Amino acid sequence: MKKLFAFVLTIGLGVLMIFSLRANTLFPEFGDVSIADRISALFLDKSVNGDNGDVVFGQTTDAEDGAANLVTSIVVDYRSFDTLGEVTVLFISSLGVALLLGVAGKQKRLALNFKPNFMLRVGSRALFGIILMTGVYVILHGHLTPGGGFPGGAMIASSILLLYLADDEFRTKVKGFKVLESVAGSLYVIVGLLGLVLATYFLQNFLPTGTVGDLFSAGVLPIVYVLIGLKVGSEISGIIDHFLTEGDLA
Amino acid sequence: MTIASYVFLIIGGLFFLLGGLGVLRMPDTFNRIQAGTKATTLGAFSTLIGVGLGNLDWAFKIVLIIVFIVISNPIGSSAIAKATYKSKQIPDNLVQDELANRGDAK
Repeated sequence: MKKLFAFVLTIGLGVLMIFSLRANTLFPEFGDVSIADRISALFLDKSVNGDNGDVVFGQTTDAEDGAANLVTSIVVDYRSFDTLGEVTVLFISSLGVALLLGVAGKQKRLALNFKPNFMLRVGSRALFGIILMTGVYVILHGHLTPGGGFPGGAMIASSILLLYLADDEFRTKVKGFKVLESVAGSLYVIVGLLGLVLATYFLQNFLPTGTVGDLFSAGVLPIVYVLIGLKVGSEISGIIDHFLTEGDLA
Repeated sequence: MTIASYVFLIIGGLFFLLGGLGVLRMPDTFNRIQAGTKATTLGAFSTLIGVGLGNLDWAFKIVLIIVFIVISNPIGSSAIAKATYKSKQIPDNLVQDELANRGDAK
């Protein structure tokens, strides 16, 4: 009975919603909308390179943004302030982990309940380099291919995690991570302030954007992505380190 | 070149299919590792070589990926096998257990 009542109630609500929306002039039929009524003509006429031509990969120069990757151009250029907030969220979570799990004084890493054999240790050291290199590649090509600072940083941190899990003697230098993290985070804000000083607003792309598709293009986007990659990589590595260490009482 | 690339892609797909089938059908973990890694290694190599022949610009990256698989696949499967052995998930019909006679097996 209860289920039947819930079913009837849901159907009724759905029907009510559909009919009330159909009668509403703010919700026109599909395809029946004039975009010019809703978006400013400035944005409708605008294109990324000033005139209304197409953007050709490898040929178009001095586009407004210069990234060959649409997501990057939104995440690190038009909504870079939002990304700064995301980086701050990650920083706060890493700070929380450090506050809850960090220990003052002597530390030792958690012991594994098995002894990694020779092959695992040596092989994972060989893999470490390849994973690290892939992470750096993903970060450096963030404005050209899918990827960028966050996935690349996570890859770098995963290579550190691999060493932690495959080698029971391994221990990172956490202090270096903390310095790197703070420097990268501060430099991000400084790049933003430079945009405010040299151009008009915070985090504006103030460098020449170059040819779409070149490695050195898109103005400040690669710089910002390298900073984000360093920050994310060192932050997640720091979190991993905090999870895998404990105070040394002896 | 295109035909060779397609042939390699088809061989790779076939080996992936056999590997997946083996993982589903084999009775215990050791046999599944056997099916999974052996077939996947050859399948991945064939697929990657097919992709590399299809677009020669990617050949260098393909070689790097193959090197990665060459190193990671045996290490991963050996680690899984060791973990399976240590968690006592040994099948009853095991014929020979050389690890039990060694000092580090526990």
